[in-house]
Amino acid sequence: MSRVAAIGIDAGSTTCKLVAVDQDGTIISSLLEPTEPRVELQVQRMLDAIRAEHGANSSVRTIATGYGRKLIKDATRNLTEITCHARGVFRDLGCAGTLIDIGGQDSKVIQIGGDGRPVDFMMNDKCAAGTGRFLEYTAARLGVPVPELGARALSTAQEEPISSTCTVFAESEIISLIARGAEPDSILRGLHRSLVGRVVSMVRNVGIVAPLMLSGGVAKNEAVREMIAEATVEDVILPGEPQLMGAYGAALLGI
Amino acid sequence: MSEAATLSLPSRLEVVDHVRSLGRALVAVMPIHYPRAMLRAHQLHPMEIWGPPHVERHEGSRHFQAYTCDIVVKAMSFIRSGGLDATKAILVPHTCDALQGMGSVLGDFLQPDQRVLTLYLPRGRRSSDHEFLRRELGRLARTLVEVSGHEPCRDDWDEAFEAEDAADAALADLYRRRARLAISDRDFYTVVRSREYLTAEQFCDQAAALPEGEAPQRGVGLMISGIVAEPALFDQIEAMGAYVAGDDLACGFRRVYSASAEADPLERAANRLLTSPADPTCGTPIQVRVDTLQTRMRALGARGLLIYDPKFCEPELFDVPLLRKHLNAAGFPVLHVEFEMGDRLPYQTLSRIEAFVETLS
Repeated sequence: MSRVAAIGIDAGSTTCKLVAVDQDGTIISSLLEPTEPRVELQVQRMLDAIRAEHGANSSVRTIATGYGRKLIKDATRNLTEITCHARGVFRDLGCAGTLIDIGGQDSKVIQIGGDGRPVDFMMNDKCAAGTGRFLEYTAARLGVPVPELGARALSTAQEEPISSTCTVFAESEIISLIARGAEPDSILRGLHRSLVGRVVSMVRNVGIVAPLMLSGGVAKNEAVREMIAEATVEDVILPGEPQLMGAYGAALLGI
Repeated sequence: MSEAATLSLPSRLEVVDHVRSLGRALVAVMPIHYPRAMLRAHQLHPMEIWGPPHVERHEGSRHFQAYTCDIVVKAMSFIRSGGLDATKAILVPHTCDALQGMGSVLGDFLQPDQRVLTLYLPRGRRSSDHEFLRRELGRLARTLVEVSGHEPCRDDWDEAFEAEDAADAALADLYRRRARLAISDRDFYTVVRSREYLTAEQFCDQAAALPEGEAPQRGVGLMISGIVAEPALFDQIEAMGAYVAGDDLACGFRRVYSASAEADPLERAANRLLTSPADPTCGTPIQVRVDTLQTRMRALGARGLLIYDPKFCEPELFDVPLLRKHLNAAGFPVLHVEFEMGDRLPYQTLSRIEAFVETLS
């Protein structure tokens, strides 16, 4: 008999994640891929793979989250990222607190209660500023690979302030800074500061209940972590697999 | 999603033909509060304009700051594109600075073919506010005689008040009967909002015809606050496993007036307007709003408050932080979302509402 008790799917705008858990809520398998244009077909392929790997059949409860959640035909239920991230992080870190999730398309601040459910939340969903896309887009202009962004930003004490909050205008500002001879790492440091400024303003609106936790793909960026801690004067803690927390929470909610 | 609507409402064009056959002329009216019986006594019929759909913003946006709400901008576009050519006058109550600006731009600069009427509304309930409103209504009544060419007699006033008071009572009764009406939220608010263009008699007939039975509401009860909610929102809320337990909408419950028995028409009209429920555009103190909302939410079984505002609606925005603070302290979560009228609700907005419903589940 299969050990898979539930499967969580996070069909995000940048990456697609699947997590399978056993009856105790322990992760027994996970998959992560860049999101393809036909996310429903991609998820089906990933689901088939994870089911085949563990001998699970289609009756295993499958919970979908993320922007593509409503396209997933095999999902028993779909839930928003807010609920799933809160549950995943609560289980992984074992505490209530304030979660910052910086995803590819939006960023969220979620106050998690003592039962792992969201108490309050705020989303930046109106533009790319304050999301992973902001760093990705502007870094492309500097020719720096995404995994190197954080280290490069922290490699210098020099910081070029970026005054444009709009991603497109920030790109123009970068071009001007390059033309004036500014160092790419100093520009990167300024870009990180700009993103963190947007996120921290949301954190202040929701209110900080310690500890401060970070999830989403951008959580892997050490400069973002350090600057958030500096701006909030709080320690920032991370779950084991920050990018999987949405899918993990979805799977937990399926048990 | 609900079954297909069972409602059979006359269209706006049918209502226009009907009121003309009664010898009444049309007056376009901007939100929110105005003396309906006074218009009727002058042989005039109000057609309210709450951000008409399928209207581009650009024609109207030329005349206002970029941060002016869609209700005003779209109405201006509608006027400039000839959408109100069938009306004899445009009444612009001083509901907010944006509407006051609209009244000034229309009256002082654009000067459309229709007569532009303004109505300054007081921001309180003191005796001085009552006196001010009475004088304003007197000024409006004199202008309406010029617009309609009709000076109402005693019988005209009595007939008008009787009809409009009956429609006001029918609206109040709809809210009282809500839990026993076997109709979806979308249908309920379609009927509530038909008061914006139906005659008093037509509205009473519609309200009386609604079927009683088991209400289809299931799931999490929400209270909705704001100016206006578009029909698609109700379908979405239902699909999310929630329902509207009650509202604090300017196009809805905030216009449940009480009748007055005063003999003097101006006194009677002023009394009616001053009985409107708590409303930030009428200067209701925040604590009164909080208390009223809490009491109603408890009574109606609403678990949270969804504040759903058109972008840049200042009178609503001013109250949001304090409403959130006080209602949160009372155990009622609050979600504030802004929308652009007529646009399809974006995924992000729907996701936020859905997440809110999940937190309340």
